[in-house]
Amino acid sequence: MLKVFKYTLIDLARNRFVLGYALLMLLVAQGLFALEGDPTKALLSLVQVVMALVPLIALVFTVVYMYDTLEFTQLLAVQPMRRSAILGGQLLALAAALLLAQAIGLGLPLLVHSPTVAALVLSLSGSALVLVFAALGALIALKQREKARGVGVALAIWFLFVLVYDALLMWGMFTLSDHPIEPFVVPLAGINPIDLARIMVMLQVDLAAMMGYSGAIYKNFFGSVGGTIVAALILALWVAVPVLFAFRVFRRKDL
Amino acid sequence: MRELLILLLACLSVTHVGARTWRYRSGAGASLQTVINGTAAGDTVLVEGTVSEGSIRVDRPLVLLGGADAVIDGGGEDDALLITADHVTVKGFTIRGSRRSNLDDMSGIKVNECRGVVIEDNFLDKCFFAIYLSGVKDARVQGNTVLGEPGEEDHMANGIHLWKCSKATIRNNRIEHHRDGIYFEFVTDSHITGNTSLHNLRYGLHFMFSHRDAYEDNHFEDNGAGVAVMFSKEIAMRRNRFLANRGASAYGLLLKEINDGEIIGNTFQDNTTGIMIDGCNRINVRDNEFRLNGWALRLFANAIDCDFRGNTFAGNTFDVSTNGSLIPNTMNGNYWDRYAGYDLDRDGHGDVPHRPLGFFTLLVEMQPYAMVFSRSLFVSLLDRAERLIPSLTPESMKDDRPLMRPPVRKNRAVAVANKRLFPHSAFVIFHSSFFIPAGMGLNEKWRTSEHSVVLVHPCIFPLGGRYQDHG
Repeated sequence: MLKVFKYTLIDLARNRFVLGYALLMLLVAQGLFALEGDPTKALLSLVQVVMALVPLIALVFTVVYMYDTLEFTQLLAVQPMRRSAILGGQLLALAAALLLAQAIGLGLPLLVHSPTVAALVLSLSGSALVLVFAALGALIALKQREKARGVGVALAIWFLFVLVYDALLMWGMFTLSDHPIEPFVVPLAGINPIDLARIMVMLQVDLAAMMGYSGAIYKNFFGSVGGTIVAALILALWVAVPVLFAFRVFRRKDL
Repeated sequence: MRELLILLLACLSVTHVGARTWRYRSGAGASLQTVINGTAAGDTVLVEGTVSEGSIRVDRPLVLLGGADAVIDGGGEDDALLITADHVTVKGFTIRGSRRSNLDDMSGIKVNECRGVVIEDNFLDKCFFAIYLSGVKDARVQGNTVLGEPGEEDHMANGIHLWKCSKATIRNNRIEHHRDGIYFEFVTDSHITGNTSLHNLRYGLHFMFSHRDAYEDNHFEDNGAGVAVMFSKEIAMRRNRFLANRGASAYGLLLKEINDGEIIGNTFQDNTTGIMIDGCNRINVRDNEFRLNGWALRLFANAIDCDFRGNTFAGNTFDVSTNGSLIPNTMNGNYWDRYAGYDLDRDGHGDVPHRPLGFFTLLVEMQPYAMVFSRSLFVSLLDRAERLIPSLTPESMKDDRPLMRPPVRKNRAVAVANKRLFPHSAFVIFHSSFFIPAGMGLNEKWRTSEHSVVLVHPCIFPLGGRYQDHG
């Protein structure tokens, strides 16, 4: 598994897309900090970028990369090694490469321009999103034989998480506003990994507003130590479940 | 009486003929009250040591000076020090042990029905009311430290409490852990300057029915509900700092039924609500800074003819919210960090109006749980659409001449919430100036951030100098 990890990582290091991702994030982050005189405001703009862009890139890149390395994977599969080792090595390498790119592209500018707790949380949530969507991407790529279809599904999933889910949730909230929806609001908001990551960041940047009546319910839950642990667990589940399914699919897959 | 006089040292007074200075050391036989009863108007009594003989009553014009370790301990019966005469000065004491009673308003220093009292440089330690002025004219309360005891609201009273006073000056005091830090009721023509009011259970400063007063350069932080000004006219509020007043009903500044007030040059930071304006007329809100608040400004629809100019709104979750559609107030020439317009004629004002009331603000007003969507892509799309084609937000709520850059302020706000984890090191290589070419017309903005200017060096961008002399 370590060998696969090593060679995949070397391949990824030469991949222009990963480099491009790091540069893009670097440019966006630097640009925002340069354009906004106020680092706090730049951080707020960056939150929106990270919450939309990071899942998209992690998802699409993983899907495309899995298809592109299919031949190499087939070559590996005929060697005397277990299939789980092949996929494990590849996924680890993918995660490592994306996290590294993100650390350079997002972590570094944050560290330089706005070394605050909010920035740290943003960086961590962004990393969690990378892992979640890379895992989802791997599952999609293994499930779909056709590349175009795979990318399509990936885009649909991204769209679902980033926009449709929120729209539906908001619609539900307003339709059922006469009912006691309080017990359902927190869990429903916490299911979507993007929403969850955003809430964690929001608890830092919108702290003053979260202390008010409207934010109290979220603050009380996610603001506590227990809530943070639950949030981390949910994100971990979002990584673990797709990865487990990916292994299952890959083990039985006719390459 | 003769033995008593031996213990006392009489000196000549410097002020006027006949006035004497009495030196009193506690534990030397006589009581301070007997000494005071023996003084004539205009005398000075210098007190040393701990006086714990119950309530002390000053009924003639005296100067009470606290010497080394001077303590007046009321021992829990009534007021520790009760002043009922004109022109009394109390200076340099530690005062404690007033009785706790909601019926009789017992206090550390109580001043009743007189004029010209001076209370200076005292330390009021866990008193019920600390300094209580009732029916006093021309009072001066200055340089005192007033520390209460955290507890339940029922068992707490105000730090500096004025009732039916006029021409009072409250200056450079520090008040912590009381119910209201400073409380004004029926107080006119008075000044509150340079005080610090922290960690009070209710309001840092509380005005009721008090007219023509001014409070300036004060610092209010972490009070249960911030500062409240209610049912008052012609109050001037200048250069104060309202910080970190958080909670569902906490406000940096709560204005209720205020007419003809002015709010100039204040800083509101990290409050759940910066200013709440309810039923006010003709308030002039100028040159204030609103940073990192939940709601910078809650302007109820019953506020009329309020004018907002030259304010800075930056980093707030919501800039403005309201509860109606008719907005008979004006906003002009403020800086909004959310403003997305342009300035083609380069006069420093945006060419298209800014609508500070976002769609999302309204959503949260209608459905508080919608707060969870703050800063999501979905909400920002909705907000953007609403700004282009306003349908739900009131048409009249707009700033026609939004500033492109935050106005320069004389007294800068100190960032409290976003303290850096690490000191700002010289990461010159990663600095923005490397990534944005100098000629992008952004130089104006660069100048606003303190550290950028230095780094735009002609060696890095030979073109830089050519574009930097706008304005």
